[in-house]
Amino acid sequence: MIRRLFFFGLAASAGLVMATAAAHAHPHVWVTVKSELVYAPDGTVTGVRHAWTFDDMFSTFATQGIESKKKGEFTREELAPLAEVNVGSLKEYDFFTYARANGKKVEFEDPPAGYYLDFDPKDTVLTLHFTLPLKAPVKAKELTLEVYDREFFVDFSFAEKDPVKLVGAPAQCKLSVGRPQEMSASMTQQFSQLGANQRDPSLTIGAEYANKISVKCP
Amino acid sequence: MPVSVVGGRRPVVPIALIVAIIAGLVLAAGVIDGALAQAGPFGTPRGQAPAAPVGGVLGWIFAKQAEFYRQFSGLIRAAKADGSVAWGLFGLSFLYGIFHAAGPGHGKAVISSYIVANNETWTRGVVLSFASALLQALIAVAVVGIAAALLNASAATMGRAVNIIEIVSYSLIILIGVRLLWVKGRAFVALLQTLHRPAAVGAAVTPRHHDHASHHDHGRHDHGHDHQHHNHEHAHHHHAHEDASAWGHAHAPEPEELAGPGGWKRGLSTIVAVGLRPCSGAILVLVFALAQGLFWTGVVSAFVMGIGTAITVAVIASIAVGARAWAQHIAEARSGYGMLAMRGIEVAASIVVIAFGALLLTGYMVSERMVGI
Repeated sequence: MIRRLFFFGLAASAGLVMATAAAHAHPHVWVTVKSELVYAPDGTVTGVRHAWTFDDMFSTFATQGIESKKKGEFTREELAPLAEVNVGSLKEYDFFTYARANGKKVEFEDPPAGYYLDFDPKDTVLTLHFTLPLKAPVKAKELTLEVYDREFFVDFSFAEKDPVKLVGAPAQCKLSVGRPQEMSASMTQQFSQLGANQRDPSLTIGAEYANKISVKCP
Repeated sequence: MPVSVVGGRRPVVPIALIVAIIAGLVLAAGVIDGALAQAGPFGTPRGQAPAAPVGGVLGWIFAKQAEFYRQFSGLIRAAKADGSVAWGLFGLSFLYGIFHAAGPGHGKAVISSYIVANNETWTRGVVLSFASALLQALIAVAVVGIAAALLNASAATMGRAVNIIEIVSYSLIILIGVRLLWVKGRAFVALLQTLHRPAAVGAAVTPRHHDHASHHDHGRHDHGHDHQHHNHEHAHHHHAHEDASAWGHAHAPEPEELAGPGGWKRGLSTIVAVGLRPCSGAILVLVFALAQGLFWTGVVSAFVMGIGTAITVAVIASIAVGARAWAQHIAEARSGYGMLAMRGIEVAASIVVIAFGALLLTGYMVSERMVGI
């Protein structure tokens, strides 16, 4: 009977493993995020300016086959068609950008013209610059901004240095940045220490590891 | 009628097995749903949490994959200056392949379901795993070699090529599933009909089977309390079955028949269906190696990755073969309804193959996304 139970368990868990594995890819693209929150003179937030730097392997892949005057270097003009493809396909994923003002979801418009790609020949990396205007500018006592891929195909993380800037924000606004941790050994260990059915209320994993900007303007 | 007596009392375990497997699948489907239902951008706080809550082991596997993957570009760059670094790259590719096969897009689920549905042998399971993984590497090399190296095509063009390959691959998976369902479904219905006419069982379809049923039954009555002896009866019963191999196989191909040339041809269609879709990781590594002027190093790396992948898939396939053999062992100990349960499992596995193909084709199930950003 025990043997049978063992096999039942095996069959069920094999199914589980397959399914969860299918639902969770590991990242193939790494993006370092620098963002600016843009404020209007009246103190309302009007939009988010993103500068996303892709990892070198993806940058190489993305620039494959693009003609350039100088070998191994690309100008903004040469990269313009690629930038258009990028922004176009990012629409499908809501630009991986999610914001809340005073606890309420904020809608973004598609980026207006003016987005572009830069190529850094030294690190051979691409940086995509684009702006996401808010559908309706909002005055927020508390604003949170998150950048992540729920499918975890793209691994976003804020830059080490100057990850976020407030542009034209009222003086009393305070910014705090929560960085995600790499899926590190220590993180895995934390999970395993939680035990199968145990939830540690002090460890709200999602919030803890999200790329989260929070701006408080009291 | 001994058959109906035995059948009436004994089908509990096979039915429990089916229930367990179906429950596992439903549960699994729920997990997929759960993962995808998080689409609502302001649901639960999560960030990268979706990749982790699966628990220690899977979380660790994902962490390792990402860790290995991130080392590729550095190693390829280093190999440019120092050729001996390539060995490190190959070692990493191997490990990455082993871990990465736990991820999507490598068809292990399809192969396992196919094995269960089609009653494949262990050898064939392993061959299927290796052949499909190596084909996958070959396709990645071909796509990058032809599109990027020869034609200097753009990433978008490669993406489109992979997209077409995907559609063909997933459609083939559905076709294979439909074919399996047709064959196994008919076998199931045929067996069901014979079981509903118990008198016909012995005479018309499986004479030996009937012998066994009464033999078995006889044994039970005579030696009901003699477990030792009972077990012996079991063993004998099992052995004789293999000789006969007639039970319930009315419309399904016999294992021997499958192992023949025709069987391999069918296996080939599975290899092609599963192996057609190249792994995005391999393509990225190949393009990067190409850009560094180390295309052939990239090619070796892709194949080593394929071998690593094959090992993991073969292990999972072996579990599938073992699970099926065990289920069969139990089913053989029962008469008619045990076999019905086996046929039922085969039908269910065929449906799983179709479901995987359909989910992948419709994009509902997140496969490895070809980089669209």
